[in-house]
Amino acid sequence: MTDIQTPVGGGRTFAHRWQRGAAGKSSGRGARRAPRWSGRRRERVGQLLFLAPAVVYMLVFYGYPVVKNVVMGFQEYTTRTFFTGEAPWVGLANYREVMSSAIFGKAVANTVLFTVGSIAGQFTVGLLIALFFHRRFPWSGALRSLLLLPWLIPLIVTGAVWKWILDQDNGALNRGLRALHLVDTMPGWLTSTSLALVAVVLVNIWIGIPFNVTILYGGLQDIPEELYEAAALDGATGWRAFRYITWPLLRPVVGVVLVLGVVYTLRVLDIILGLTGGGPANATQTLATQSYQLSFVEFDFGQGAALGNLLVLVSLLCAVIYLRANRRLVDE
Amino acid sequence: MTSTGRLTPLRPATTWRRRSTGAGHTGGWGSTAVAVILLSVMLFPVYWMVNVSVQPGGGGAVATTWLPLHPDLSGYGKALSDQGPHLVTSLVISLGSVVLSLLIAAPAAYALVRFRIPFIQLILLGILVSQMVPGIVVANALYSAYSDLGLLNSTVGLIFADSSTGIPFAILVLRAFLASVPGEVIEAAFVDGAGQLRTFVSVVLPMSRNALVTAGLFTFLFTWSDFLFALTLTTTEDVRPVTLGLYQYIGSYVQDWSAVMATAVMASVPAVVLLLVAQKYVATGTTAGALK
Amino acid sequence: MSRPGARPRTLRILAGACALPLALAACGGGSEGSGGGSSTVKSLRVLDYYSNEPDKAVYQKTLEACGQEIGVTIDREAVPGDTLIAKVLQQSSSKTLPDVLMLDNPDLQQIAATGALAPLSDFDLSADGYAKGVVDASTYQGKLYGLQPVTNTIGLFYNKKLLAAAGVKVPTTWDELRSAAKTLTRGDQYGIAFSAINTYEGTWQFLPFMWSNGGDEKDIATQQTADALQLWVDLVKSGSASKSVVTWSQADVNDQFKAGKAAFMVNGPWQFPVLNEVSGLDYDVAVIPVPKAGMPSVAPLGGETWTVPQTGDASRQAAAAKVVACLNSDANQLALGKARQTVPTKTALLKQFVQENPSMAAFTDAVQTARSRTGELGEGWPKAATKIYTAVQAAMAGGKAPMAALQQAQAG
Repeated sequence: MTDIQTPVGGGRTFAHRWQRGAAGKSSGRGARRAPRWSGRRRERVGQLLFLAPAVVYMLVFYGYPVVKNVVMGFQEYTTRTFFTGEAPWVGLANYREVMSSAIFGKAVANTVLFTVGSIAGQFTVGLLIALFFHRRFPWSGALRSLLLLPWLIPLIVTGAVWKWILDQDNGALNRGLRALHLVDTMPGWLTSTSLALVAVVLVNIWIGIPFNVTILYGGLQDIPEELYEAAALDGATGWRAFRYITWPLLRPVVGVVLVLGVVYTLRVLDIILGLTGGGPANATQTLATQSYQLSFVEFDFGQGAALGNLLVLVSLLCAVIYLRANRRLVDE
Repeated sequence: MTSTGRLTPLRPATTWRRRSTGAGHTGGWGSTAVAVILLSVMLFPVYWMVNVSVQPGGGGAVATTWLPLHPDLSGYGKALSDQGPHLVTSLVISLGSVVLSLLIAAPAAYALVRFRIPFIQLILLGILVSQMVPGIVVANALYSAYSDLGLLNSTVGLIFADSSTGIPFAILVLRAFLASVPGEVIEAAFVDGAGQLRTFVSVVLPMSRNALVTAGLFTFLFTWSDFLFALTLTTTEDVRPVTLGLYQYIGSYVQDWSAVMATAVMASVPAVVLLLVAQKYVATGTTAGALK
Repeated sequence: MSRPGARPRTLRILAGACALPLALAACGGGSEGSGGGSSTVKSLRVLDYYSNEPDKAVYQKTLEACGQEIGVTIDREAVPGDTLIAKVLQQSSSKTLPDVLMLDNPDLQQIAATGALAPLSDFDLSADGYAKGVVDASTYQGKLYGLQPVTNTIGLFYNKKLLAAAGVKVPTTWDELRSAAKTLTRGDQYGIAFSAINTYEGTWQFLPFMWSNGGDEKDIATQQTADALQLWVDLVKSGSASKSVVTWSQADVNDQFKAGKAAFMVNGPWQFPVLNEVSGLDYDVAVIPVPKAGMPSVAPLGGETWTVPQTGDASRQAAAAKVVACLNSDANQLALGKARQTVPTKTALLKQFVQENPSMAAFTDAVQTARSRTGELGEGWPKAATKIYTAVQAAMAGGKAPMAALQQAQAG
């Protein structure tokens, strides 16, 4: 955070003092409160009050479900449990069963490919579009908002529409490709085991672009124009301006976009279910869809929760990496 | 080393912005044309949705032509008469969720950026973890709680539940944006005698309008398109968002796609309007003005 | 059984509204035996999945009529099909199960196994005179848990015009099917369309072929099942069926047939209303072809069964049982059958039914030899169903040899 704080003008000493988070000291400086210790106390309480509603909300709405899910991974939780309330403890049996199932290896591979492919595509295209819209041209605002349309559409509708577009015999995509003479045989986007994952990744990229564009665009907007002007005076424009001004100042926003992107993509369920249901022949089965299948189709919630927890662990790893990288950013 | 750099060192950032990357194009109608082409490619599926909604005979993959040559608005008729009240419900819940989320998330994001609070990293991790929890886990847990509290089939209940996707997200995004608010502006406010809350409300919030609108926008979109909580936390038709209303056209055996697509198109309209209105606020960078 | 304080709101309101001291029956803690039959039941909660027209209206009318007969109002919740079981589980755990619960017949065994349903013999209801397959599906460990008023199955729809134009007869054996489909494949029109999707719907469509050839769900890695799977693989390989069958649901298959993109289709009578609306489509239904002439065509039994969950309130359960019995009355079976293109389950009614609904003749015949999915495996059916569609997908989309695909799926 510090690297953005250095202002173009003066006042650096004030900024630094603020950076060290010397909240207590600042209250002393203002000399508004008489005894220093009670002022500090009130200050601290005031600060915590800023945070309190959010913490309470999160604990209520997430704390219990998360804990319950973790515990469920260690229990034999089936339809019977819902009625009788009994869920015998089975320790790591669920995890062992899930990880030794024939689909596990495939699901892991698919998850990795799906996530990496989606994020790479969404982010790159999103950044390029955001940079393009960074300039002002007529209607840029309206056009940029229209870009959010893919997000507005209910996922069930998106799934259905893409399923039609990708249909092998009559879909718009294949009809278009045939009209343009780009292919000889109609590719089976959703019916061929080799193409299905590609198709699903492409649709996910399509859905994810608006999210990336909007946040990155907002981040770009916040970079002060003076920096570009000052750099231009020194002769740094184009790629160099991007590398030395845009990218470093955009890094916190990029970090958030990437980590959230990974976390959301790992969880993606509706679009895969809508397009292929995990098929054909498990070609698009990811850890998330497999967890759903175990829990809500086979009603073995214990195993489904175990798989879900594995997913959360992976996301956790990414989050920790993000936080470490973020902290390093602060220290720089 | 461009000539423009030497000639116009301190031109204010209004209509003409130099580019950081790109081929050095100037803004103008050429860019608009490119943008329109880009949008047409990106939005083709949306066009297809509209196309199917006006196809006669219930639509479907098989017989749909590129252009709706014989438009049939019966799908819209059905959708309008059935889904009108559901649209209003969705709107109320979404706006309520935006207000609630921003109320809770903005101070929290500010606190995480500005204050020296112990366990910040832990709290951040907790927020990130919450994003990893599959929605269905939360929905199932909420069902029992809501059932006991009598919050099922209530707008308020849905507002609180739908905010669960918006709040953590808003905190994370706002935090990233607020990190770029320069410290000296806040210092200045303090020196002028404003308290923490005052500083936050009168100085920081206006400056982060950009970020607030972005976060609010996404919260609105998350809630608008939520299906899971609508399905789980309602048992009657009293409070039914349009995402759930859509399902009455999708049976196990027969699907009335033109009605579904018509509903989806109608459901997108208010959201699009809101988007177009909101984009005005995301247009200008805010800190640039504050420093001048 | 029920947690104190967790009684549904409706009961509390009811208690307040009634003048009689209903505290016994209605207040927290449940009333198992404590109120006996002393509380008058004013309304019953019903849960089903007929969430879209015309089924929704048909059942609303029927339920309300039954409610009037018994003297209760019906408080009904209709949810989308896929979400019913999830809802039932939620309600199980929060002890808010409805009084009358509709279940898709293959789900009954799992739910009965949890103990959530009350045996209907407790209410003097029996399934005498019902088709055997139907009774099997609603029976768990020898006890009857549900009564199913109407059933359906799948048959071979054919486009009369296309068949006549090509001079093709309606096939009755697999070989005839193969050649008929091949002959009728021309241009962008496929000979046949069926659903081989990776859900229970795909399994459902595969069952008549598997069962008619002697295959069994206890062990699918047998030659008979492999031969059935081979038929499907051949139909796709020879181009008579589109490769997209692995992604089609029965609704999608119907869309293909509607648009004239398939001359045959495997589907059920619920499509009649949609097909009848298409102008210029002249179709009819035949029994699904069998491997060799003279063998019986064994199709799966569909339809939903009505159950009485254990809510702990004896008087409510008794009233609910009356509703279930009313739904299964002769008059209602015939009416529902006619309105919903389904077949009554009481064998005595079948003759009259076919007379009144000649379009349902093929399905009525099929129902007589049909089999229920859960008859043999009970709660083990879902796992077997998953294995079946996994094998079908592996053979049709994954390119595996049928026997190998079945063996791998059977092994799990």
